Amino acid sequence: MKPIRRLTAAIAVAVLAGFGPLAAHAAAPPEEVLTAWYKMALSLTRHTATYTPPVASRAYAYLGVTAFEAVASGSSRLQTLSGQLNGLTAGPQREAGQTYDEAVVLDTALAATVHSLFENTGPTGHRAMDALEAKLHAEAAGGLAADVVTRSEAYGQAIAAHILDWSKGDGGAVVENMGFPAEYALTSGPAHWVPTSAIVQQQFPLLPGWGTNRTFAMPTGATCPLPAPLDYSEDPASEFYTQALETYETKNNLSPEQRAIARFWADDAMLSVTPPGHWLSIGMQIIDRDRIGLEKSVDILARLGIAEADAFIGCWNAKFVYDLVRPVTYIRRLIDPKWESLLITPPFPEYPSGHSTQSGAAATVLTSLLGDDFAFDDATDEADGLKPRSFASFWAAANEAGISRLYGGIHFRAAIERGLDQGRCIGAYTIALRTWR
Amino acid sequence: MRDTSPRLAAITLAFAGLAQAATAQAQVVPTFVDETANAGIDSVYAGEWQYMVGGGVATFDCSGDGFLDMLLAGGEAPAKFYLNQSTQGGALKFAEVTSGLELDAVTGAYPLDIDSDGIEDVVLLRVGESVAMRGLGACRFERANEAWGFNGGDAWWTAFAATWERGATWPTLALGSYIDRSQEIEPWGSCTDNWLERPRADGKGFDAPVPLRPSYCALSMLFTDWNRSGTPGLRIANDREYYRGGQEQLWRLDAGQPPALYTDKDGWKNLRIWGMGIASADVTGDGYPDYFVTSMADNKLQTLASATPDSPLKADYKDIAFPRGVIAQRPYTGGDVRPSTAWHAQFEDVNNDGLMDLFIAKGNVDQMPDFAANDPNNLLLQSTDGKFTEVGEAAGIASMGVSRGAEVTDFNLDGLLDLVVVHRRQAAQLWRNTTPDPRHWIELRLQQPGVNRDAIGAAVEVRIGSTVTRREITLGGGHVSGQIGWWHFGLGDAAAVDIRVTWPDGTAGEWLPLAAGSFYVLERDRAARVWLPG
Repeated sequence: MKPIRRLTAAIAVAVLAGFGPLAAHAAAPPEEVLTAWYKMALSLTRHTATYTPPVASRAYAYLGVTAFEAVASGSSRLQTLSGQLNGLTAGPQREAGQTYDEAVVLDTALAATVHSLFENTGPTGHRAMDALEAKLHAEAAGGLAADVVTRSEAYGQAIAAHILDWSKGDGGAVVENMGFPAEYALTSGPAHWVPTSAIVQQQFPLLPGWGTNRTFAMPTGATCPLPAPLDYSEDPASEFYTQALETYETKNNLSPEQRAIARFWADDAMLSVTPPGHWLSIGMQIIDRDRIGLEKSVDILARLGIAEADAFIGCWNAKFVYDLVRPVTYIRRLIDPKWESLLITPPFPEYPSGHSTQSGAAATVLTSLLGDDFAFDDATDEADGLKPRSFASFWAAANEAGISRLYGGIHFRAAIERGLDQGRCIGAYTIALRTWR
Repeated sequence: MRDTSPRLAAITLAFAGLAQAATAQAQVVPTFVDETANAGIDSVYAGEWQYMVGGGVATFDCSGDGFLDMLLAGGEAPAKFYLNQSTQGGALKFAEVTSGLELDAVTGAYPLDIDSDGIEDVVLLRVGESVAMRGLGACRFERANEAWGFNGGDAWWTAFAATWERGATWPTLALGSYIDRSQEIEPWGSCTDNWLERPRADGKGFDAPVPLRPSYCALSMLFTDWNRSGTPGLRIANDREYYRGGQEQLWRLDAGQPPALYTDKDGWKNLRIWGMGIASADVTGDGYPDYFVTSMADNKLQTLASATPDSPLKADYKDIAFPRGVIAQRPYTGGDVRPSTAWHAQFEDVNNDGLMDLFIAKGNVDQMPDFAANDPNNLLLQSTDGKFTEVGEAAGIASMGVSRGAEVTDFNLDGLLDLVVVHRRQAAQLWRNTTPDPRHWIELRLQQPGVNRDAIGAAVEVRIGSTVTRREITLGGGHVSGQIGWWHFGLGDAAAVDIRVTWPDGTAGEWLPLAAGSFYVLERDRAARVWLPG
């Protein structure tokens, strides 16, 4: 496509899509800006030490809301989330009658938000962010009138500042010691969590207060409670023992397919994009595959981020209400002293399964947005040597993500099934958000 | 240098009742004095992003006086060479002289006698092309890449190890590299190839490099005979920050065969850490090397899960850092409670009690707020129960400098191990070990005729009473820092010991009764010679 025709087409698409008059831009349409910054956020998640799954989910929520508000502010079809999300007040307004460039607005807003959320990353992460910002800015702003660039940048900065200011009061803004408390009193009794690794930091559980953070769409972290876990028992005839034996025997007799599933959904902190990043990656792959437009893309990404963040708050709330022992502890105590889980046992209580809760929430949201039998392929960790997997629906993926934790030996079945239920409950609050006028 | 016979001393002491290492006595906390200001050392490891790792030091004797000279990496500034002018037992004294090693972009350095001419050469790891520098004598060096067929590549070189494969007349070098520095936006997953440079068929230089694929951003490498098979493997510590699908590695290097990774079928476990440095010693006393691998917020001490010589060993390691007290995961003084960042590590006996202690250099990568900014170096003393106790502050080495490479070595030849530490963007520091009333020690230099003059790959056994400890003679590991010189052994209360060398080809020498408190040159098939400084 020649430049003039491309420009004409872009304006036509923009008008049809509900945007006002757009400034011409050179090489970076806002869709590419969105994708580029999300890819950067996923990479930084893996390479920022504080970015355990709950922390990552929080960042994805704020990133999603930033992208959504930046796009919605220039769209006649999207409805702002201010007034709908807990504590989010009305954001800055565009100047009436003035021209903005959507790519510059979005790029500036996302650049500022990613820089802030991942401020603690290492020097390579900062170098990468700076390089991406310079590249995208040059591409987005090239050929535009200076006043348009300046106005668009200022507005993007204002959006970011508004969202970041809102983020600071949610209880999760400051994470010290990689999320592990300096002091913590373990609950006594065999039913309760004890450290499962020899890493000093992990002698206390990860982020014990995360369940009291301000939620996004649901009222509080306790909004979607779970039934109590199975009654703790060491009696071989008990249901608790039976489920522990199931985890033990399943892990010991994994089929190649089960092993592959466990690895596929492992999503270890600091070694992957984490579980919420995995679902975000799924969303991005679909957006890319189906060339989903900008407005719907930011709707998907914002809702995914919000649902994931609420899922981790709700899940963590329940985890520290019940404080249940991990399979590796129980199994070594009662069944096989030398047993090892396939996956790294996470350093926090067992019930419910975090991956299950957040997978349930993600599947609820994506099914609502894209349909019940929405088939897709997932190549999130292909670069790490994990083969892509195909799913017939989002719930097929969520159920597999849940059961992967049993295959990996880090959860009992009850935590998985009830975690998925909790995710369904939490996701419903995100579905209820109004994003279209 | 004066050589003399140890016979008189040996006769006097060898059977005069060998005292056991002072296992029952109170632990002596060593004392170190910072002599940087007066020692004539003024070197900064400088540079920005491409120098966030690296910062090494090489110690070796190129002047022939037995005192170890020193090359300090300068990062984007030229490296600096220092001639050791210390006197035995005296204050540390160095003079900066021009050696030919003063290249820029140096990240680290390792000494070794590549061409077996009896003069130490030096490999300079660099950002860009690494350079093999041939020793000319009198601490002069010249580039030898072309003469030796050494390919220095063009990479961010960050690790090195050397060995002589069985029967080879030329060394095999492993070079570890880091990130593809051209990848600004997507640096993750861009680890460039590590290389194995093996001897040419004619044995007079290096063949074309063999890439060690997959490569996972190596920050330390060590050829080590982990299973005492006689064929060292190559242990690599990899930085998980940058690899995709990576892990810690152990390569099998059978003579004449392409390198092959140990896998889970061999017992090797999928360990993923911010691997930054490797130290090796037989800490557990099972006769096999154990490995301390540095990382961030957590360090590993790996020992064989099952060391039963009667059956084939599996490369299955378990982590005993926590029970042994060497996790060193956060600062122990200074009030900064954030997690630590560990780099160079080295086992040595700093208080001469016969037990290997552990030094760890610490320092933030680059103002990362999740990690300690004031991160003191560690000195962990081993006790008779095998556990380690932190004494860095009491010993006087708790520097808050942003440390990287280091060497623990005897600069003034008094039998006490001194310390040099390279800091990022700050001047290197030098400490003299001034521990009063030191206990017994012995220092050895191994020599072979022909090739591999320094006997890399040998093992030294020290027998005190019924206790035998074994030390593998290696070249590599740490964090871009290496040494060749005197091998130091603390002996506790033992005034004499028996020493046996198993040479790199597997030939075990005789047990040699040697008196403590001396330097010995142990030349293959010859009697031990006492060596006296001066």
